[in-house]
Amino acid sequence: MTVSHDGLADELRRRALGLFARSLHIRTVDTGSCAACESEIRLLSAPPYDLHRLGFFFTPSPRHADLLLVTGPAVRAMDIALHKTFVATPDPKAVIAVGACALGGVYHEDRFVHGAVDRVVPVDVYVPGCPPSPIALLQGLLVAVGRLEERVSALSPIVDAGAGP
Amino acid sequence: MTLWFLRGLRTGIVTTRYPAELDAWTETLPAPPRFRPELLTEQLADGLVDVCPFGALAREGDELVVDLGACTSCGLCVEHGAGAVVPGTVFELASPRRELLVKRVPIRGGP
Repeated sequence: MTVSHDGLADELRRRALGLFARSLHIRTVDTGSCAACESEIRLLSAPPYDLHRLGFFFTPSPRHADLLLVTGPAVRAMDIALHKTFVATPDPKAVIAVGACALGGVYHEDRFVHGAVDRVVPVDVYVPGCPPSPIALLQGLLVAVGRLEERVSALSPIVDAGAGP
Repeated sequence: MTLWFLRGLRTGIVTTRYPAELDAWTETLPAPPRFRPELLTEQLADGLVDVCPFGALAREGDELVVDLGACTSCGLCVEHGAGAVVPGTVFELASPRRELLVKRVPIRGGP
């Protein structure tokens, strides 16, 4: 599935991901992350978050996965592995970029890293944070399968003049 | 356990929802900062751009461009911001489009 902002393509993509609304298998790919994101991803199966109750499961094989959670700044050494994982995941599939590194924040593009995951594979949902809290990850997963609306477009970076300190 | 199982059979509800209200402790989670445009001068904005180690801040004319995706919520700009930058509280920032994470703050302060 490629990233396209055409109305029809978006609609098709949403419908395809809606198929996963009640059951989705996740494969994580680490492209040079510091493992803080991995630590938060592991916490998703802990009782306070419990992603299994929402129908999400981790799987060790990309061939059984519907969604890739990609962390890290996309180091070039992982190019082949990431491409093979992406190709091995059956369609329809989704990719979530997790963390500030994967979104292009921490590392600039150079000889060693691409600097952002969406320069290598098409990304469906971006989850910022360093590392993102498990709650933020859970929201990202639910946004990916269309069970929650994103909230960031309504978020204002400005504090009202009348508000307290 | 048995009661939950029977309730699931009766109502067809097999899972609980994503929390409609977040727990109180989540207020202490790091979140990208927010800005007070009336206290933000051009000089201060340039200082903030320099102090951000991750390139999340940039200045375009009379606007400060904040990239929430690149922000690591480290708090250096809050420390340096002299009241114009305050810690944020919203951390659920998942976005289907990268450009939604780029916010603009007008610079209204100064002479």
